[in-house]
Amino acid sequence: MKRHIEIGILYSRSGNYRLVSESCRAGAMNAIADVNADPAVPFEFVPVERDPQGNIDRYASGCADILANSGARHIIGCVTSWSRKEVIPILERAGGTLWYACPYEGFEANEHVVYTHACPNQHLVPLLAYVVPRFGADGFLLGSNYIWGWETNRVARDLIADAGGKVLGERYLPLGEVDVARLIAEVQATKPDFILNNLIGPSSYAFIAAYAELGRRDPHFRPERCPILSCNLTECELPALNGAGDGHLSVGPYFHDISGADRGAASVSSVMPASSFEAAAYASVRTLAEILTRNPGAQWMDLPKVFAGTSFRTPLGDIAIDPQTQHATLPVQIGRIDGTSFKTVTLTKGVAPDPYLSRYDRTETFGRPRLRVVS
Amino acid sequence: MARIPNLGGARAFVLHRPHPTVQAITRQLSAIGLEAIGFWPELPAEALAADFVFFDVDLGFDEQFPWKPGEAPMPLIALIGSEAPGRVEWALSHKADAQLLKPVGNAGVYSALLIARQSFEARKLLAGEIASLRQRVAERQTIVRAVEALSKGAEDGRAYAQLRSLAMSWQISVEEAARRIVAMTQGEGDDDQSDRA
Repeated sequence: MKRHIEIGILYSRSGNYRLVSESCRAGAMNAIADVNADPAVPFEFVPVERDPQGNIDRYASGCADILANSGARHIIGCVTSWSRKEVIPILERAGGTLWYACPYEGFEANEHVVYTHACPNQHLVPLLAYVVPRFGADGFLLGSNYIWGWETNRVARDLIADAGGKVLGERYLPLGEVDVARLIAEVQATKPDFILNNLIGPSSYAFIAAYAELGRRDPHFRPERCPILSCNLTECELPALNGAGDGHLSVGPYFHDISGADRGAASVSSVMPASSFEAAAYASVRTLAEILTRNPGAQWMDLPKVFAGTSFRTPLGDIAIDPQTQHATLPVQIGRIDGTSFKTVTLTKGVAPDPYLSRYDRTETFGRPRLRVVS
Repeated sequence: MARIPNLGGARAFVLHRPHPTVQAITRQLSAIGLEAIGFWPELPAEALAADFVFFDVDLGFDEQFPWKPGEAPMPLIALIGSEAPGRVEWALSHKADAQLLKPVGNAGVYSALLIARQSFEARKLLAGEIASLRQRVAERQTIVRAVEALSKGAEDGRAYAQLRSLAMSWQISVEEAARRIVAMTQGEGDDDQSDRA
């Protein structure tokens, strides 16, 4: 009989970002099932699950509970940056590790966290580098009122300035707010070239629906002229859009490609991940299983050594994890929404993480500044 | 003005005896993209070219630095363990731009870098402004002499207005214009001679 190893699962099964959270959880659970069925793995994972129910105050206690009352030292969990920042002090005190499978705003590299989804040089920077030459550099920035929106839009302001564009507006909605009439009015009045959407959950769905309505009245606001850009929109939320998102753009390390172009993913996982959240959570569990197979009992302090010079087979491809920042090297794909899936428009493989944008280069991203004609 | 803080490739010297504190700081610095160089007990001359210097306040002393207290040419970050008033006072004498409390954990270095850089630059800017104001104050005598030269017995108020309009048309400060006028009146004799030659 295989040895049992407990593994923490900390995802909300209700609340504003339930669709994302359930997608991550599905990825983690599928990976646990695959690990347990894999004869090459000498142990079985036993999930120890806590459900914070979308309540920010229940993440730290859930994390502490897992670490205190089970043998689990590794936790797969958290969707919002706010919740990640809530559990970090608990992880530091108890010596735990969080495997974080969502895109985030960067500017963090904690020894107790492994970041398996994209950071800004793997989402926002390549997305704007793609959009600016095709649609223009003037943007309108939207966000839900917490750290993801604030910080992502802050970086976007700098990028837009570097691209020679203007920020025509920057607005925030409280989490869960669905009254978007004012946002739509401001977008209509300012006529940007693109809208960067860092709203999450129902606010985002409401905005995208209202924007589609605006596009029917005024052709400027159709996706082929002024697209909505997202750094965290995946297949798991497309059904909530009812087709209103068609033609708009998102960026991520993975799309569930129904055309079957990405057979690599299918060969790693028994169930082909339905979104990048699912794929990244799956990758987290499989990577952890590989580490524990080679170094049973590996804990947070052992990880940098384990990561050095190794790569891991995952549905995101063979990925390396940078021992210094504990962020994954990932593919970067930009996709156009088409019903309940994405059509890939660009794919760049093996983009190394740069969570502090320390290697960001304006010229490399946007080309030489255009010279104005002086006559 | 918000800018993507470009810290990649910057060099930070850490003046601290070999200790887990140095490892914690080095780890954070390399994650952010800086090169970290540890030294103890003295900073080498090449530290003058560093972008940041972290220094131990607990065991630190003036002779460790290749500059006089308070004259570091880069942002300084004080590493404070014991909060003894004498030690804090010593850190202040070196004009630390930010501080980190020991033991250093998993975070703190990034904000210390940004705060130190901004306050260092603000301090440098202010020092530059003060120096230029001091210089202008020191030129009062010159202005008086230039006004005298321009007025040639007429009203001082009009002479001063003339000095200002000259400064404006030459696009220089009033002090600078005054210096020119004083030099011109002093040099008049020489110019006459060269014309004749």
